[in-house]
Amino acid sequence: MLQTVDLHKRFDGVAALDGVDLEVGDGEVVAVLGPSGSGKSTLLRVIAGLERPDRGRVRWDGEDVTEVPPHLRRFGLMFQSYALFPHLTVAGNVAFGLRMLGLRPEEVEKRTWEALRWVDLEDFADRPVEGLSGGEQQRVALARTLAPEPRLVMLDEPLGALDRNLRERLVVDTRRLLRERGATALYVTHDHGEAESVADRVAIMHAGRIVQTGTLAEIRRAPADAWVADFVG
Amino acid sequence: MYPVGRVLWLALAGEPGTAFARVLADPRMRGSAWFTLWQAGVSTALTLVAAFPLTWAVARFRFRGRQLVRAVVTVPFVLPTVVVGTAFVALGLDGSLAAILAAHVFYNLAVVVRTVGGLWARLDPDLVDSARALGASPWRAFRTVTLPLLRPAIAAASSIVFLFTFTSFGVVLILGNLRWRTIEVEIFHQAITFLRLPAAGALAVLQMVGVTAILVLYSRYQERRAVRVRLVAEEQTLRRPQGGRQRVAVAAAVVGTVGAVSVPLLGLLVESFANGGAGWRFLTEPGPLAVRPVEAIGNSLAFAGAATVMAVTVGTLSALVVSRGAGMLSRWFDVVLMLPLGTSAVTIGFGFLVALDRPVDLRATWILVPLAHALVAVPFVVRAAAPILRSVRGEVREAATMLGASPRRVFTEIDLPIVARAVAVGAGFAAAVSLGEFGATSFIVRPNTITIPTLIFRLLSRPGSVSFAAAMAMAVVLAALTAALIMAVDRVRAGEVGSF
Repeated sequence: MLQTVDLHKRFDGVAALDGVDLEVGDGEVVAVLGPSGSGKSTLLRVIAGLERPDRGRVRWDGEDVTEVPPHLRRFGLMFQSYALFPHLTVAGNVAFGLRMLGLRPEEVEKRTWEALRWVDLEDFADRPVEGLSGGEQQRVALARTLAPEPRLVMLDEPLGALDRNLRERLVVDTRRLLRERGATALYVTHDHGEAESVADRVAIMHAGRIVQTGTLAEIRRAPADAWVADFVG
Repeated sequence: MYPVGRVLWLALAGEPGTAFARVLADPRMRGSAWFTLWQAGVSTALTLVAAFPLTWAVARFRFRGRQLVRAVVTVPFVLPTVVVGTAFVALGLDGSLAAILAAHVFYNLAVVVRTVGGLWARLDPDLVDSARALGASPWRAFRTVTLPLLRPAIAAASSIVFLFTFTSFGVVLILGNLRWRTIEVEIFHQAITFLRLPAAGALAVLQMVGVTAILVLYSRYQERRAVRVRLVAEEQTLRRPQGGRQRVAVAAAVVGTVGAVSVPLLGLLVESFANGGAGWRFLTEPGPLAVRPVEAIGNSLAFAGAATVMAVTVGTLSALVVSRGAGMLSRWFDVVLMLPLGTSAVTIGFGFLVALDRPVDLRATWILVPLAHALVAVPFVVRAAAPILRSVRGEVREAATMLGASPRRVFTEIDLPIVARAVAVGAGFAAAVSLGEFGATSFIVRPNTITIPTLIFRLLSRPGSVSFAAAMAMAVVLAALTAALIMAVDRVRAGEVGSF
């Protein structure tokens, strides 16, 4: 279970996180929903360990991981830009995290194929990632993030760079994949529909704070304040 | 920079502006300047027209050997200009304006086919289909939908071709027979033939102004084009030619263009064997020149090795700066990448000639030639390496971290392989540039360390059918060396570091 306690982070004197308390239970998918600039990406980066919080703690199953370096946390993060490795093939990208686990080569290969199958990219295994379409890149990034079975999966606007048709199709696939793996996941988005269809629970973020959590239906029924009412309205 | 500075000083020294005034008043030089401008315009227009059929065929259709066709038309582009010029001499076309224009088209075809064809193949076919569904004829749909969307690529290709032909030296020197002269060629004549250094300096400045103006116009245009087009993968747009007429048209475009491109190359090969191979024998025998011609190959390879080391060191470091730099530098990224296309090798050679006598007289040492080559090659190295280095953004490193890579492993698994690839590609280009470099070398080469391109030029200017065939043979050798290098570079660029 992930737990953040009173996370603060300022950039150049501007508060990006202003006391964030958030919990994600085992096997739960929580969407962080908010307008751009509300601190969503910073929240993920602090949980990932890529940014140090000015104050506050990050805990996993009660253990404080705030000081643990990012590559040892076994948290996965999928970037909005996908950040695929340009010098590796599709399979090479997906295999990367498995190799870092120190698995035997046969095991790496087996699990790479498995992950490619999840996203229907077996035929693309030996292709360089350069010529791939946006949707294909998204699927590579997703398979790469999920393959090493991280304790926590974080997705930063994973469909943000795609056009709407593709987004509607891939949101279904993404939800199915997260569910099938029983993943504990944090899904950042600014799109209400995406949040509603992917997540068990939604956390509304505004100006560096989580202002309300619950299902979107619950939040609509009883918004915490006028801003939330307007945002989910 | 120092040699170029000396050229500037040479042009401006003495009575202020006299050198310029004299150049501008001289009808011969005005003629050269005007010729430079209009032949570049005509060459660019002709290249666009000549490239159109093949661009269309390669961008729209799937057919056997499509990749091979693309590779074949790229061959002339990577050949040294001396080889291109010599190939047209082999056809017996030297001395005519038509030969110069044809050589420019031959040389630059690939720029259009690759730049415009690359974008065209990735345009969403639904766009044209919907125009057709709205009642547009195929021609009208092309004119009102496809053409406007291709405009950025056409503009980019045109700027590159214009720059290349504007600064054309080897082709015009060899084929122009002193009658047709670009500014580059005129600088060479003024400096080497007439020893009028201030005039040559003034011309070099004029040339730099012209190149800068083209680059500025290009970057302005790049900033202004705003239409974002959704691109799709090539596999989704390519279709098999349908119906007899389409099949014939595609076949005609492919066979016609590939045939036309092959003629000069085959001519070169055939002529090199004229006189029962006397040309090839001439190369290995001690002849009337200071060295045995075949030694030029060794010189060229040694110079290329030294130039590559220098160019890669400087070029990779600059590429790192350009690709990491924020703000100003990144904004000029595209322009920086254009620079090698406008570098005037003649100005560099001329600058070396007038500048490097102090504090140590470098002009007597062997280092001068590779140094000049490295200077010409650095922008090419930057151009090749910067996009590769740019692909390692901060997030790519962070992604590796999030997949469990320690900082050390991020360096060995991400940074190193990518930088190594950039260096390898840059080195290949530097070596190719050095092997084919003619403009700068022609100013500073010494008879006992002659290079392949300068040897070809000497052989061409000697009377007699044996020297003629020997020049052809030497051009074949140079073409083969360059092709081998470029093929190796392509391997590295496409090749992946194991699939797992």
